[in-house]
Amino acid sequence: MSSAILKKPGKKILLMGNEAIARGAVEAGIQLMAAYPGTPSSEICEALIDAAPDSDYYVEWSTNEKIAFELAHGASQVGARSMVAMKNAGLNVAMDTFMTVPYGGVKGGMVVVVADDPDAHYSSNEQDTRFAAMYAEIPCLEPMDQQEAREMAQEAFGMSEQLELPIFLRTVSRISHASGDVTLGPVKAGRNKIAFNKHYKLPYRWNVYGAPGALYKHKWLHDILPKAKEVANNSKFNQMKLVDGSKVGVLASGLAASYTKEALERLELTDKVNFLKLGMIYPLPDKKIGKLMADIDTLIIVEEGDPVVENQVRSLAKEIAPGIKIYGKSYNAILNPYGEINSDLVTGAIADALKIELPQDDMEGTRDQLRAKVTPRSSTLCAGCSHLGSYSALREALKKFQGTHIVNGDIGCYEQGGYGLFSANVQGNDEDGKKYSIRSPYEILDTIYVMGSGISMAQGQAQVGYKDGKVVAVAGDSTLIQGTLPAVVNAVYSNADITFLVLDNRWTCMTGHQPNPNTGINSMGQANEVFDIEGVTKSMGIKFVKTVDAYNRADAAEVLEKALAFEGPSIVILKGECQLQVQRRTKRTTTETWVDKELCNGCKNCVQLGCAAITYDTKAKKAGIDKINCADCTLCSQVCKQNAIKMGGGE
Amino acid sequence: MSTNIIVAGVGGQGSILASHIIAEAAIKASGKTNDTLNVRVGETFGAAMRGGAVASHVRIGDVYGPLVGKGQADMVLALEPLEGFRIGVEYLAKDGVAILNTEPLHPVDVKTGAVDYVAMEEVETGLKQLGKGVVTINATKLALEAGNAKTLSVVMLGAATGSGLLPYSEETMIEAIKERVPQKTIEVNLKAFELGKKAFLDAWTE
Repeated sequence: MSSAILKKPGKKILLMGNEAIARGAVEAGIQLMAAYPGTPSSEICEALIDAAPDSDYYVEWSTNEKIAFELAHGASQVGARSMVAMKNAGLNVAMDTFMTVPYGGVKGGMVVVVADDPDAHYSSNEQDTRFAAMYAEIPCLEPMDQQEAREMAQEAFGMSEQLELPIFLRTVSRISHASGDVTLGPVKAGRNKIAFNKHYKLPYRWNVYGAPGALYKHKWLHDILPKAKEVANNSKFNQMKLVDGSKVGVLASGLAASYTKEALERLELTDKVNFLKLGMIYPLPDKKIGKLMADIDTLIIVEEGDPVVENQVRSLAKEIAPGIKIYGKSYNAILNPYGEINSDLVTGAIADALKIELPQDDMEGTRDQLRAKVTPRSSTLCAGCSHLGSYSALREALKKFQGTHIVNGDIGCYEQGGYGLFSANVQGNDEDGKKYSIRSPYEILDTIYVMGSGISMAQGQAQVGYKDGKVVAVAGDSTLIQGTLPAVVNAVYSNADITFLVLDNRWTCMTGHQPNPNTGINSMGQANEVFDIEGVTKSMGIKFVKTVDAYNRADAAEVLEKALAFEGPSIVILKGECQLQVQRRTKRTTTETWVDKELCNGCKNCVQLGCAAITYDTKAKKAGIDKINCADCTLCSQVCKQNAIKMGGGE
Repeated sequence: MSTNIIVAGVGGQGSILASHIIAEAAIKASGKTNDTLNVRVGETFGAAMRGGAVASHVRIGDVYGPLVGKGQADMVLALEPLEGFRIGVEYLAKDGVAILNTEPLHPVDVKTGAVDYVAMEEVETGLKQLGKGVVTINATKLALEAGNAKTLSVVMLGAATGSGLLPYSEETMIEAIKERVPQKTIEVNLKAFELGKKAFLDAWTE
């Protein structure tokens, strides 16, 4: 067995936070894992898929987070240990079930892993989902490093069975996507028995309406919370070190505790202040915090995200220690409730609160001068990406209609159609470049929010009478299945005049090329039937549905033009498999594409395609091909009016 | 005590692999000496797309968090010069060393002619103002000389080992490389390692 998460107990290895969580689940005897991909959470399910052939649990990529959550709870109802993982925004999709499941809770241990993304590295927002754990009133754990991520994942299953509630494991990008040394624990031998009991310890246990009803089941949840508080007060994840005579307390949770430990060392305060590291932040370990607050006059609270711990501690302090001055992110703010923190920021914050003067960085001036010289590197679609063809054809088709068109984006690699280039405008020397506002694929999208939102927003624009131009929406194949199908039906039902482009590249690419129902293989890599996007949307009642090759620009533009002219909802499926996947499969190493410099007139039509393999020599005013990246997709030769870009034959 | 290294490059070059090998070698070293070396690797990678800036922070020793503090990198190991510059400007310590591959990969911003790629002399003089030394090697060429362009990251590991800044022996590093690279490519990778080490030593004594 090659999987790192199946290595022998006692071994110390380098694991990514997500792999550490997967290992913890293996140690606890997990029986079902379900997830929908979402950075930075995807590697939890990936690691468990990799290890599945040598294990005895069920694992799948579900079609969305709510479905994954419901699978995990279904498994728990019949006694199994289950885990569901998602990114911060994914929890919003699962929210309906998430909020109601605690009314009656679980049987088999159920762990809900949510990966937050402070700094919004990979996300539409920075939402702090610890609020959601409090909202649903279920225990919340927050690891400080990869070792603790493993331990928490492992312990959470038992805690869940003890408290009969799902356990919320909140991780962040810098835990999930960072790696650390992890010592592996033993793997549980037996598995929970699978059985169903309609009235398991509570009448109509799995039916929130069943007598004595939802209100009673909410009271049942509140009767458990004092027990959960005792678990928090005694948890090994909440560690306190008191220093005799010190009037200063520092309280830090999760990853912030790691940064705080380093900050205290830098400030030479480690043995001079009281320190409480929290790993279980809800319910709040009130007794432990009471001890910390017994003999201090200043309390510094450090956490990643919103002031979630701080708000709870302030409310407790008001009752038991009102005289303490508390520093955090709300009042006496020393850190911001947005962005990501790090050891530098925490060092500054603690120094700020304690009025310690820090030495200035005498190189800052030099750094600032040099920063201005660093060339930007914009993120782009990969060379030869099929979305380049789709966007180029869409641009061409939209030119046939007057006005200001609205193109609604969605979530996937193609969302880069709204990122723009860091180095500002592409300045073509041709009329084409000047005439149209959409110059490169990186400016084509006008709105982008969350998974599946584009097609519904388009309907709102159209239904209110937007007539200054065409209303378009785009979404990828995985996003189509994850979150747009009810919106397609809605467009039919309301006869919305919109054009919906399905950018079908076969895989869920942006999160790491996971398979989906449109791929032709299941989660475990076995062949299965491909989801029929054209058939499904036709049967939903869309009268104009056409499938075209995203790499045939003229065909695609012609079909798109017809779709845009069609009154009522229309769908164009632009097919073109992800080039990275194609190259991995074919192991292609040579490039046929080249630019005939004699014929090239420097018009930049090819540059405006936005392909990472097209170069442009500003002095010679000639285009060129980056041979290392070029995928021979032919799109650039299709847009070249001079026929200067050639395939084969050599330069 | 801690050693802070940032491996910088462009997505697809192998900088994350290089950072993991540095970290795994540290875990091996700590197993041998019973020192409790903590190891952290903080990665900034997201989408699967090629061509983006990638920086991987490796921290060894008395460390907790995954990120190197500003101006605290003992070594910036750059598989691409612009990315070495980008990271060096923020993180290179006063006694830190930057080791740069001289072969540029132009960002789309440069390819489209919107901006110029920073001159190599600017990169070198800039980083020299901040750190103790800047070593430049054409690691891309050395990787091809070793027999496989994909050994670029191992050429850079050779250079990093040659610097003597890593808190463990060359043997431990080689052991970690052998475990991580495809078994059929061990020989070519060891050649790449030697070429990188020699290139560093030649450049350093100049």
